[in-house]
Amino acid sequence: MRAGPDIRALVAGLAVLALGGMLLLDALDLIDLTFAVFAPVACAAAGAILVANGLSR
Amino acid sequence: MSTLRRDRSHGWLGGVCAGIARRYGIDPALVRLAFVIATAAGGAGIVLYLLGWLVIPAGEATGRRRLPTGRGAVEVAFGTGLLLLSILLTFRALGIWFSDAIVWPLVLIVSGAALIWRGSSAVRPEPAPTGVPGAGANRPVEPIPAAVPDEPRRTVGAVSRTGVGIALVIAAGFAFLQATHALNAARDVGLALIAAVVVLGVIFAPWVLRLVRSLTEERSERIRSQERAEVAAHLHDSVLQTLALVQRSDDPQQVAALARRQERELRAWLAGRPALGQAARLAPALEAAAADVEDNHGVPVEVVVVGDRELDPAVEAVVAAAREAMTNAAKFGGGSTVDVYAECTPDALRVFVRDRGPGFDPAAVPADRRGVRESIVGRMERHGGRARISGAPAGGTEVELVLEGER
Repeated sequence: MRAGPDIRALVAGLAVLALGGMLLLDALDLIDLTFAVFAPVACAAAGAILVANGLSR
Repeated sequence: MSTLRRDRSHGWLGGVCAGIARRYGIDPALVRLAFVIATAAGGAGIVLYLLGWLVIPAGEATGRRRLPTGRGAVEVAFGTGLLLLSILLTFRALGIWFSDAIVWPLVLIVSGAALIWRGSSAVRPEPAPTGVPGAGANRPVEPIPAAVPDEPRRTVGAVSRTGVGIALVIAAGFAFLQATHALNAARDVGLALIAAVVVLGVIFAPWVLRLVRSLTEERSERIRSQERAEVAAHLHDSVLQTLALVQRSDDPQQVAALARRQERELRAWLAGRPALGQAARLAPALEAAAADVEDNHGVPVEVVVVGDRELDPAVEAVVAAAREAMTNAAKFGGGSTVDVYAECTPDALRVFVRDRGPGFDPAAVPADRRGVRESIVGRMERHGGRARISGAPAGGTEVELVLEGER
């Protein structure tokens, strides 16, 4: 029987990838990452991880 | 392949996500997450969900609805709050903002209301199965649920959640009044309200106290009455039945065995502990009751049980009522086989006890006979069920015991 994807790990991985990508773009001076931009993205990432974790229990 | 239907049994709202997940064989959490993300991205998730609710036909609800509980619920709540916060921060960064006087009090009120609601609807722990068919139902009704080790911690948790919720709502009110420069005016109104409450309290306190006392006394009397009925039903089913058997028996050894068994059972009941050899589930409990009746009265009792469930006080009451019906069928059924059929579904428990005897008119039973009136009908009603006694299609008597509600 094929095991399904681990939703929690998938969402957490995607969220960390998104955050890391933004930090990389900022380090390369491709975007200007201010607190006003980063704060909602960080909240959304943490929220998505928590929701995925709670729904998978 | 099955058609797409809403799965209300496993859904949280309308069962749209659960229905889609079931239809395509994927994890419901994945579908729910997609809807949450679509909602965060401009609210499309809500529109799509409502559309799905309207368009997709409902499937048959076959089981208990499952809501996230415990730590899962807290994580979902915090996660949703963070997603909402990210939307608000995005709006603010983009310059789409109503006013600090509205948004932050609103956020506080919603959070506080969620905590208060969760605290007030905290699930009461189910009573642990005692494994005492009959005896559990015969135990005096306890006005206060039996304490379990986690109960104080659970209660403290619910109270603290409610307290934090109330504090958040009050803080929201103060934040709104402060932001709209209405705090001074609100203070005057608050003082006037307090004065009014004190005046009305002084005037109406005696009536209110009398009403509360009267309601408390009435409740206590009702509980005492139920306890008396339960004790009477137990004594009827155990001690009186054994005494009747003792009177009919002319074998000293059998009389001694009956007395010893009755003594053990009565001691266990008085101590509130399970009697020896008692089952913890419905099917073995019914079979044990049938075996007892067979041993005592020498009449064959055939038991068929479809489905099963753990014993709780209400199910124990059904077993005790069924046992009494079996005893009556064995005593007055003319020696015919007693048939017991129990059907256990997620929504209801039904037990039928039939005999092929001459039958009887329940209305003609003398008032001092407690078997049918208290041990069957009264017991079922006290535990939220019902009993019906009628003539069986093939002659004789049929007793139907019904206990509805999900368990």
